Amino acid sequence: MLGIMLQKMWHKKWMNLSLLLGCILLVATAVSFPLYQSAAYNRMLTDEFDHYLSNEGVWPAQLTLQVSTKKEKDGKTITTMENYIPTIYRDLGVQERDTIYLYTITGGAVHSEYERNDANDLSARLGYKSKLEDHINIVNGRMYSDTGLSDDGAIEVIISQKCMTKQGYLVEETMAFNALKTFEGKTMRYKIVGVFEPKSPGDLYWKNDKESEYDDLCLMNPELFRNSFMGEKSVKFSIVCRYTAMFEYENIKATDVERLQKSVDYYAHTGSYRNVIDEPPILEVLNEYTNKHSRISATLTILQIPVLIMLAAFLLMISGQMYEMERNEISVIKSRGSSRLQIFLLYLYQGLTLTGLGILGGVPLGMQLAKLLGSTRNFLIFDLSEQLKVSFDQRALMYVLAAAGTGLLCLTLPAIKHSKVSIVNLKQQKALNKKRLWEILFLDVVCIGISAYGYYSFQRSSADMTETVLNNKAMDPLLYLSSSLMIVGLGLLFLRLQPILLKLIYTIGKFFWRPAPFIAFMENVKNGRKQQLIMLFLIMTVSLGMYHSTVARTIVENAIRNTDYADGCDLRVKEVWTEIVDRNGARTGTYIEPDPSKYVTAPFIESYTKVYRLKDIEMEGGSNGKLTVNLLGIHTKEYGEMTWVDKKLNGKAYYELLNELAVVENGVLVSANFRDKLGFKQGDSVTYKRQNGGSATGVIVDFFDYWPGYAAEITQQQPDGTMSNDPNYTVIAHFEYVKSKLGDVPYEVMAKLKEGTTDEQIYEWKEANDMRLTTYVNRNDDLEEAQTDPLLQGTNGVLTLGFVVTLILCGVGYLIYWIMALKERELVFGVLRASGFHKGEVFHMLFLEQIFCGGLSILAGFGIGKLTSGLFVPIIQKVYASATQLLPMELITDSSDLTRLMLVIAVMMLFCFLVLTLMTFRMNVAKALKLGEE
Amino acid sequence: MGNIIEVLDVSRTFPVPGGEFQALKHINAAIPESSFVILKGRSGSGKTTLLNIICTLDKPTGGTVRIDGEDVSKLSDYKKEELRRKKMGFVFQSVSLIPSLNAFQNVEFSMRMAGIKPGKERDKRVEECLRLVGLGNRMTHMPAEMSGGEQQRVAIARALAHRPKMILADEPTAELDSAMAARVASLFAEMSKKEGISILMTTHDVGLMGAADYLIELANGERVSESE
Repeated sequence: MLGIMLQKMWHKKWMNLSLLLGCILLVATAVSFPLYQSAAYNRMLTDEFDHYLSNEGVWPAQLTLQVSTKKEKDGKTITTMENYIPTIYRDLGVQERDTIYLYTITGGAVHSEYERNDANDLSARLGYKSKLEDHINIVNGRMYSDTGLSDDGAIEVIISQKCMTKQGYLVEETMAFNALKTFEGKTMRYKIVGVFEPKSPGDLYWKNDKESEYDDLCLMNPELFRNSFMGEKSVKFSIVCRYTAMFEYENIKATDVERLQKSVDYYAHTGSYRNVIDEPPILEVLNEYTNKHSRISATLTILQIPVLIMLAAFLLMISGQMYEMERNEISVIKSRGSSRLQIFLLYLYQGLTLTGLGILGGVPLGMQLAKLLGSTRNFLIFDLSEQLKVSFDQRALMYVLAAAGTGLLCLTLPAIKHSKVSIVNLKQQKALNKKRLWEILFLDVVCIGISAYGYYSFQRSSADMTETVLNNKAMDPLLYLSSSLMIVGLGLLFLRLQPILLKLIYTIGKFFWRPAPFIAFMENVKNGRKQQLIMLFLIMTVSLGMYHSTVARTIVENAIRNTDYADGCDLRVKEVWTEIVDRNGARTGTYIEPDPSKYVTAPFIESYTKVYRLKDIEMEGGSNGKLTVNLLGIHTKEYGEMTWVDKKLNGKAYYELLNELAVVENGVLVSANFRDKLGFKQGDSVTYKRQNGGSATGVIVDFFDYWPGYAAEITQQQPDGTMSNDPNYTVIAHFEYVKSKLGDVPYEVMAKLKEGTTDEQIYEWKEANDMRLTTYVNRNDDLEEAQTDPLLQGTNGVLTLGFVVTLILCGVGYLIYWIMALKERELVFGVLRASGFHKGEVFHMLFLEQIFCGGLSILAGFGIGKLTSGLFVPIIQKVYASATQLLPMELITDSSDLTRLMLVIAVMMLFCFLVLTLMTFRMNVAKALKLGEE
Repeated sequence: MGNIIEVLDVSRTFPVPGGEFQALKHINAAIPESSFVILKGRSGSGKTTLLNIICTLDKPTGGTVRIDGEDVSKLSDYKKEELRRKKMGFVFQSVSLIPSLNAFQNVEFSMRMAGIKPGKERDKRVEECLRLVGLGNRMTHMPAEMSGGEQQRVAIARALAHRPKMILADEPTAELDSAMAARVASLFAEMSKKEGISILMTTHDVGLMGAADYLIELANGERVSESE
C-alpha cells in the first residue's frame, strides 16, 4: 500500500508539490496568528513594566514587607521572616532578582561626646541594609571597619549627606545614647566614620525606602548589628524589618498574568501577611495590562477573521481542484477492483504524509512569519532591529492541529466522494456548468445589503462610538464584519457580472475573433465558473490589501498628526514661579521670574519663545454679552516660526492670521465659536480682564477654527460615564500687550529643538538647572508613545500579517489553480498545437485567459478596495482615535502602499504566467495527444 | 496525378539505454492526390511514428519528406505550423474536440485557424461538413453531450472543413464499434473523391482495408508491401 502511494505521489509530483506547499502555508499562516498575538502580548506586558519603571523609577516587580518585632528573646519573628522571604519567588513562580533587607532599631535620645551646644535634642536610629557597600560612594571619611567597632569600642556608622546636614553631625564625632546600655551594661556609643551618597541617582536599591528613612539612620556593620541586637547575648529591641523581594519581569509571560495577579493579590489583600505588605506596584502594572489586553484582543481577533475566511477558501479551492483531478484516477483504480476502503486508505495515507510534512515545514515558517511581523512599524514597514520573541504554546498547537486536520479532510474528501461515482455518471457530470449555490441564493446581494445596513447604523451612532472608545471598550465586531461583508458581496457581484461583460465583448466581434482570443473567450464562457473561487481570492487579496493599508495608514497617520497638532511645538515647559509675599505673608500677585538664560544656553534648543497661557479671562464687547475665555499671549514672529496649522483647516493660511495680528498692537484673534456664540465680527472691540488683575481692550482682527493645540470643544467623561462637551473659547493677543495690561504673570516657554535631540539631553539640562516644572510637553515622546500604542501596533501587525498571508495564499493558490487547470487541458493544447496553433498564439491565448480571470479580478479588487475604504475607514478610525482627537479625521492612503501592492501582485502574476507558458511550450505535442489512450 | 506526400528513404531512430532503437528503416512511400490510403501494421510497427513525421510533429533522422512538393525539413517551425493549419486536417484516436466549443464551433474553428474569412460562406461550409458526416441535426451540441462515434465524426468534419490538401487520421476508428468504423472508412473514401482530399489513415482493423485506394503496410519499422 505504501509503495503504491509513493509511486502514485511520484507520478504526480507536480501536483503533490503544490499540495505540499499548500499544506505548509496553511499550517504556517494558521499558526502565525496565535504566535504573533501571544508574542505581542508578551511584549506589551514587558513594555508595561518598562513604562512603570521609567515613569515611577521604582522596580515594578517586587513585594515589600515590613514587620516590627516585639522585644522577643528568641528572635523568632525574624527567623520566620528570613526563611519565608525566599519562598515568595518559588510561590509566585518568578525568578529572583534581588532581595534587600533593612533592619533598624529606634535607639533613642543621644548626645555628642564633643563639648557642643548645638547638638542637644538629637535622637538616632541604628540599622543595617544588606549589600550596602555595592550601592554607595563614600564622599567623606571612610566605610565602617570589618569588625564594625572603633578602637574605643564605639559602633562605627556611616550616614547619608542629608542626615549629616539635618542632624548636624560631624565626621569622626562620637555620640552616646542617653539611656541605652550594651549587653555588658556599658553606655552604648557610636562614631560617625563616613558620609555616603547613592552610587547612582536612579539606583533602584534605594527606591523602596520611605522618603525620610535615611534622615536620621546610622548604618552599621550587619554582622555587628545581628550580634548586638538579634543574637542570644544581645540587647532586646523592637526591630523594624523591611524586606524587598525583587523579581525579574522580562520572562513573565502574558499567559502568567492571570495567575500572578491572583497570587499577588492574595499576598497583598487576603493572606496572613496582608497587613505588612506595601501595596505591590506589580498589581497596578498587571491591571493596566489586563485592561489594555481586553481592549485589543477582541479587536485583533476580529481583524484576523477575513484572513481565516481566505484560508478556508484556499482549502476549498485546493480540494475542489483535487476533486477534479482525482476523478479519473479514482474511477480507474476502482474499475481495477479496489474496494472503497482501500481507496480511502490510499488517500488517507497520502493526506497524512502531506499534512505531516506540512506541519514540519509550516511551524518554523509560521514562527518566522510571526517574528517578522513583530517588527512591523507601519503597514508593510518592518523595523528588523525590533525582534519579537516568539515561543510555541498550547494555543498555537491547537491552531496547528486544527489547520492540519482541516487540510487532511480536504485531501481525503475527494476519495470519499468519488469512490461512489462510477465512470459513467462521471462523464455526464463533467459536462455541466451549473449555477453555483451563491448565485441562486443571491448571496452577493444579501452580503451587500447587510453591510449597507451596518454602514448606515454605524453612521448614525457615531456619538456612541466615541463613548465606546473612551470607555476603552473593544471595537464592535459587527463594524468590521460589515466592511468584510461589503468586500465579499461586491466581489461576488463582480463574479456575477464578469461573464456577462465578457459575453458582451465576445458578441461584438463574434465572427472576427482570431483563433487565440476565440478559444480564450469560449473557455471563459463555458468554464468560467470553475475560476470563480480563484477570482474571488484575487479580488479579496487586492481589496483587503487596499482596505487594510488604508486602515493602518489612517489610524497611525491621524494619531501622529493629532499629536503634532495637540502639542503645537517640539517642547513646551512652564517652570514654577515663586510668588512674592509681603511682610504679612499675604500674596502680592507678583512673581520671581526663573532665570531665562538656560533657554539660550541649552545646546539643543534652536529657538524659543515666551507664551502666556491664561485661563478664566473674562471677555466682553459692547452689548454682545460676555464669556469666560482662555487667553494666549504670543510673539507673532517667533511663535509662527515654530508652529504650524494646515491651511485647509482654517480656509486661510496660518501665517496670514499671524500677519493680521502682527500689525495691530491691541489686535486679537478669536476662536470662531466665540463669534458664533456672541455674534462678533472683524473690527469689533472687546475688553478682557484677569480675575484680580488688569484689563485690556482689543480689536478683533480675525477668527480661527484651528490653532496649534486648540480644540473647539473639550470632551470629557463624566463620573456617570456619559460624555460632556464643553465649548472652548480662546483669544490670542500680543505677549507684550498682555504683559503691560494684565501684569507680568508666569509664562510658558515653547521651543524648537535641533534635529536629533535626545531625551537624555533634555533630562540632564533639566537636572543641571534644577528646574521645577508645572508643564512639560515633549512632542517626540508623545509621538513615540502614540505610535507604539499596543492597539495601534497590534493592529498594524495583524493587518500586515493578514495581508502577507493573503498575498502568499493568493500567489500560491493562483499558481496551483492554473497548473492544475493546464494539466486538465493538456489534451486540448496537444490538439491545438498539432493542428498548427503557433506558440505565439498559445501565449496570446493564455495571456487573454489570465486577463479575463486575473486582470479583471485585480481591477475589480482595486475598485472594491477603494470603495470600501472610503465608506468604512472613517468609522473604524474612530475606534482608534484617542479621546483627545482634535483634528478632523482624514483618510490617508499612501501611494507607495498601492505601488507595493501592485508590484507584489504583478510579480506574482508574471511568475505564474511564466511558469504556465513554460509548461505549455515544453509540452511534447505528440505525447500529449497520446494521453487519452487509456 | 501527382503525389501530395512523398516519403523518401525515411529512417527514425530513438536513443534508448545502451544503444538506439530503429523505429523506421528506410521507408519509401508516396500518396497521390485525392486518394484514400491506409497505413496498416501491428502496434509497434512504426505507423504512428511515420504519421508523426509526415505531419511534421516529428523529424526523421534520415531521409526526406515532401509535402505538396516541398521538402519539410527546410521549413521553420512556424512554416510547419502554417502548413499544418492550412493544408492538413487531423483526426486523432481519442477525443480531440475542444470541450468548450459546440459541434458547430469546433468545425468552424479549423476554418478560423486556416484564416478563412467569416461570413455566410463559412457558416454554410460548416453545416455542409456536419451534414456530410451525418450530424446536421446536432450542430449545437457540446462534445460531452455526444457519443464517441459522434465526436469522432465531428472531428472528421472539422478536419475537412477548411478544404485541406490532406487529412491525417491516427487510428480514428479504434474506439468505435465495427459498424461505425466501416461508416467512417467509407466516409473517408467518399470524401477523397468528392472533395479531392488525400487521406492517410492508420489502422490495424483488417475489415476496413477494402475501402482504401492503397495500402501501406509496416512491420518492425520496414515497408512490407503496397497493394491496390
